[in-house]
Amino acid sequence: MMNAIETDQLHYRAAKTFHISGLGLKVPVGAIYGFLGPNGSGKTTTIRLVLGLLRPLAGRISVLGHEIPRDAPSILAQVGFVPEQPHLDSILTVRETLAFHAAFYPTWDWPWAERLLRQFDLEERQPFGRLSKGQKGKVMMLLALAQRPELLVLDEPTDGLDPVVRRDVLSALLDYVSQRRASVFISSHLIHELERFCDWIGVMDNGRLITQVPMERFKNGIKRLRISGAPPIPESLPFVLLGREQTDGATETWLVREWEPQMSAYFDRPGVTLTEVMDLDLEEGFVELLRTFRGPRA
Amino acid sequence: MFRVILYNQWKWSRLLVVLGSVAGFALPIVSLQGAARADASPLAPAELLRTVQSWGVLYPVLAATLGLLVAITTWTPDHRGRHVYALVLPVPRWRYVLLRFGAGALLLAAPITAVLVGALVATSSAAIPAGLQGYPVALAVRFALAVLVAFAVFFAVSAGTARTAGIVLALIGGVMLVQVIADVARVDFDLVGKLQLLVLNWPGPLAIFTGRWMLIDV
Amino acid sequence: MFETIDPRSATPLYAQIASRLRIAIAAGELRPGAALPSVRHLAAQLRMNPATVVQAYRDLEDEGFVEMRQGAGTFVREVAPEGRARERARQASVLVRQMLADAGRLGVSLSELQAAIAQEIGVETS
Repeated sequence: MMNAIETDQLHYRAAKTFHISGLGLKVPVGAIYGFLGPNGSGKTTTIRLVLGLLRPLAGRISVLGHEIPRDAPSILAQVGFVPEQPHLDSILTVRETLAFHAAFYPTWDWPWAERLLRQFDLEERQPFGRLSKGQKGKVMMLLALAQRPELLVLDEPTDGLDPVVRRDVLSALLDYVSQRRASVFISSHLIHELERFCDWIGVMDNGRLITQVPMERFKNGIKRLRISGAPPIPESLPFVLLGREQTDGATETWLVREWEPQMSAYFDRPGVTLTEVMDLDLEEGFVELLRTFRGPRA
Repeated sequence: MFRVILYNQWKWSRLLVVLGSVAGFALPIVSLQGAARADASPLAPAELLRTVQSWGVLYPVLAATLGLLVAITTWTPDHRGRHVYALVLPVPRWRYVLLRFGAGALLLAAPITAVLVGALVATSSAAIPAGLQGYPVALAVRFALAVLVAFAVFFAVSAGTARTAGIVLALIGGVMLVQVIADVARVDFDLVGKLQLLVLNWPGPLAIFTGRWMLIDV
Repeated sequence: MFETIDPRSATPLYAQIASRLRIAIAAGELRPGAALPSVRHLAAQLRMNPATVVQAYRDLEDEGFVEMRQGAGTFVREVAPEGRARERARQASVLVRQMLADAGRLGVSLSELQAAIAQEIGVETS
């Protein structure tokens, strides 16, 4: 099995203006893959397609080597899912919720579920519907983890949670990932959160996957260059020039992608000086990428 | 898996099942009590039959109500979560639906048993005049079938999206409303009667609801 | 110990972790034979990819500061005083290099820098 999640030329249309086109996701086994994108870019729809909740118009989907939706009921035993909105029965207590879930997943680990209950400080006899948002989020993550799945699909699992709960939830997630080589597919707005632990990143905008690269390459590859005496029309660039603007006088700031240190040799020519190479953190890189990708109409 | 679904189902419909069982137990007994006269003389056959017949109307009503409400409570948790949870569970959809149906049907065994017990108690303790006989078991069996048919029909309707279920129930309500308005305006338009003829008299499962429900008969 | 780890910094996370541990070992905060937190524990505590922690530990092992024992964990090795002094000297160079780079960017001359150092320390430097 090559990839934990793989889609090929995936097409889907929801409303007249919203569609997903030509989506080619590749989430390697054992990777922690961060799925970024602005609101409405199609992240949740993509996740629903991957899990077989929606039928695509065209294209192939495979999860852990199995075809979706054909093999969905059997392979979903190996997938832990945390949706954006709480989806559990509000009348069941926390413990009853766990018992219900455990009945469907042969790999359920009760001792670990009990430890997580204590770790998350959850009141067992509270009905799910009466829990706070943070507690609901913890329960959903608990269910997904205690299942001991091979793949975790998390749709904004920390959205709307306070910082303390966010830490608890992510700690438990990374504790699990350290125990076994599970694959994680996590979508989030909170880029700084993903920055800490994702080793792959996919960026979605307007129904398209605009980039999908290892995290280091993404972070290190986007740079701001300060150049004096920049050539008006640069040719044969070894990197991708995303944008340029006049900073002051003869100095320009260039925004580039896929930069590598040795490329500074490009600026070894008369009249041109590369004065500085500035790093962008993940959030700035993401914002700039979207801005330039969207082009003039932005 | 069935155990947790049954427990889930029970938590949602336990009030219904308990009330339904109480009503089911009481109905046969009350229907025979109603025939007793103030001076406790033996019951006259004709009067007895009349009373039994008029109380008998409540059996199909109870059956349909129980079937409808238990079907609704079966699907309420799934509808609330937009079926997301059920669809991500590692069971084929048909099997999940079957488990839910089985759970509901099993819980309906309680009111059905209550009717049986109540009918047995009522017929054994009442002084039935000569020429008439009690049919407690037949009545209970008919009740069981009616409940399960109603449950199956409303279960199928509710298993779809909440929107479809709502549309179907709204249609039924609409028909009733038209009939009521027609009656009030004294317009001779027996819509319900015509539909009834169409739906119930046609040889099919719904025919079980028609006719007389006689605990005691000739 | 790891509060200053910054994912936004240009330094890779594994390098930041390794650096912090190296300093702790050099300064004697972590004594020889002491066990480093398990990969699992540190990854969960810092909310980081376990691979990041493993890489930090491996780098430290390559440099001779720790040894990773299969099944038992990672332990601080006996580092000779010269080793620790060497590490401190290395850290000092890093600090100075950083300061000089920052000064250059701000347009602060070498003499201005030296004057500021003198003022801060309260000692005359020539």
